[in-house]
Amino acid sequence: MRVALELRDFAKYPFLKESQQFMGRNTDIIEEFLCSSPGKIALRHAMDRVRAALRSPGQQDDMRDIPSDNLGVKISVSGYVLARIIVSCTKDRSLIERLARYEAQRAFRFLIDEEEDKRVFIAGSIGINSAGADLPVIQYVEIVAGLHEERWRLVNRDVWNGRVRVSPVEMNELLREQVRVILLRQLPLSVPETVCGLLLPQTGEIQGLFQQTMLEQFGAVEEDSFPPCMQSLMAALTGGTNIPHAGRFALTAFLHNIGMAASDIIALYCRAPDFDISKTQYQVEHISGRSGTEYTAPSCAAMRTYGICINSDALCEKINHPLNYYRTRKKKEKKQESGGSTGTSQS
Amino acid sequence: MNPATLEFVKQRFSDYYRTGTLAAPPSTGQREWAFVFFDPDYPEIRMRRHTGFAGNDDLLEYVRNMAPAHLFYSVAYYSMPHAPTMPEKGWLGADLVFDLDADHIVRGPYDMMLSRVKEETAKIIAMLTGELGFAEREIGLVFSGGRGYHVHIREIAVRGWGSAERRELIDYVCGIGIDPGIVLSMPSPSPRGWHQRYIAALTEYLLVLEGMDQKDAVADLLTLGGVGKVTAEEFLKRATGLRAALATGPSSVNLKDATTGRVIRALADQKEGKFATLLREKAALADEPVTTDIKRLIRMPTSLHGGSGFRVTPLTLRELDDFDPLTDAVVFGTRDVRVESRAALSMPLLGSSYQVSKGESVVPEALAVFLCCRGLAGIAGRA
Ligand code: SF4
Repeated sequence: MRVALELRDFAKYPFLKESQQFMGRNTDIIEEFLCSSPGKIALRHAMDRVRAALRSPGQQDDMRDIPSDNLGVKISVSGYVLARIIVSCTKDRSLIERLARYEAQRAFRFLIDEEEDKRVFIAGSIGINSAGADLPVIQYVEIVAGLHEERWRLVNRDVWNGRVRVSPVEMNELLREQVRVILLRQLPLSVPETVCGLLLPQTGEIQGLFQQTMLEQFGAVEEDSFPPCMQSLMAALTGGTNIPHAGRFALTAFLHNIGMAASDIIALYCRAPDFDISKTQYQVEHISGRSGTEYTAPSCAAMRTYGICINSDALCEKINHPLNYYRTRKKKEKKQESGGSTGTSQS
Repeated sequence: MNPATLEFVKQRFSDYYRTGTLAAPPSTGQREWAFVFFDPDYPEIRMRRHTGFAGNDDLLEYVRNMAPAHLFYSVAYYSMPHAPTMPEKGWLGADLVFDLDADHIVRGPYDMMLSRVKEETAKIIAMLTGELGFAEREIGLVFSGGRGYHVHIREIAVRGWGSAERRELIDYVCGIGIDPGIVLSMPSPSPRGWHQRYIAALTEYLLVLEGMDQKDAVADLLTLGGVGKVTAEEFLKRATGLRAALATGPSSVNLKDATTGRVIRALADQKEGKFATLLREKAALADEPVTTDIKRLIRMPTSLHGGSGFRVTPLTLRELDDFDPLTDAVVFGTRDVRVESRAALSMPLLGSSYQVSKGESVVPEALAVFLCCRGLAGIAGRA
């Protein structure tokens, strides 16, 4: 079935090869483009995109006003391309991940309102046959490997004859994830140094902004906001009790994920009875991504499997990841704090 | 191992490797190979790793000459398999493997362990073909020569998988990570797969509870994390009704209810206990780290297992049912060999049952090799 893509579809789904073909018809040299006036507009648009990517998902603004005129679409798609170039120039893995997530979410928002045949067409162009109510096991596993929620685990699915049943709503979510993974795989682009040089003001701004966002989201490490499992592991560690490997892994990954520096994590382990500096250093650095893969702390379900979901409390019921627990608690405390501090200033 | 015993075993292995039918796995040239030889200090294990071969002929000639005690290759494919470090090897992909080892499942006499692990193997094959959809011809089944079976899946589509993707499959076959809330609310009209197995395990557990004395049943529930006496007693009252609900409409079970929800969730978290056992019986207990390790070394089918002298035997799925490792994986003969056994033991082999007394006795060669390899006996008479 042929689906007619409209101009505005290129702006909605800039990663489609059709969108890139549309752009391809006016191949400018990028350095020249950046100095032209459409280039400047596109660059502003790109920066808006990256800034939006840095906001947490809830605060990402609606982008309902999709251009449908030739120039507007061109600027929008160029903005997509330039945004990718900017984050590639920063060489920062977390920034790259944020942008991929943002672009996927953006496409997802349009996708859910799309006519069925267009949705199927777009799904098909990223390798998913979304027309049915199921996906092949192998493809399903590849898509959900990066998703942490329990509902995606194969063991919690209806699996039969090599197919995994998927509801229409879930199918859209899987499309989003597929877009994210594909975009992530393409990044970082290898951008010539001269181009990155031209973009220095932009990359500088983005990096500064990113640091600020990180501080806002996690802030200083606050042990009081740790989930019970991590508090117990910390207590065991400081108390000089030996903790099993799975526990060490979970705690280390957790501390790393909330932004603790590797050296501080190692310092913590000094209190362990079987402390061995070189081994600990190796493990900590391995978990915190020195070797290329960054590890994420295990989900609550995994923690339960390892038998280290300890003392779970009421808040645990509402979350499925220790990191979520931490974030939620910190947010709450912040609110209380700001309320509380007004109180003190008055007294 | 004393020199005479070592010499005997080495001779027998050489004999097999000279004349036996050997089959190299696909892509020999991209695999890392590893060997343990009958060195003078054997069975002290010294593994020689990072060996590479240009092709099957090189490999087989080497193996026939060296007659190793153990012979492994990497499930991974590398661009430079002989390079000494992992980054230099250049990982290209890996077969998907499952390891079913009786050691992780049950303890007991060797033949009992073997038959138990065979059941487990049949279960995993059923899940791999019926549920996960792997074609029979993609599945390589192998008796490990020790206490279990290996399943090799060489399907191209899964070769590039990392540990996370492989974990989905191993967790699936082992039934790890079941979330009762999700599984119970599955909209499937007739439960199948884990939906069915989970409901069955829960139903069986409820039946067990109902059949117990009130006091014992409460005690069993009290072993669950976060379950107190009041919750336990209330849950017990509901057991029969809950069982009916599971039979007619599992999604009607309300996990938001404090009592039901707490107990059912705590059961799902249980490591040891009646429910955990019932659930595990329905799983195929493959060894998790083997599947998620994308650089694992695994025994070469058609080689000999130095710890038993048995042949690492490739099987078709159809052959599994009738396969008896104690006959079909035996490659040695029946000529008399005089051994000295450390203890009295009995052992079925090649269709007969042998009683070996402590001290010297004469046994068939195949049994002698087995006993020597296991360290249960040595060659007698030549001090
Ligand atoms: S439920 Fe999750 S966060 Fe809470 S204690 Fe268990 S593992 Fe930790």
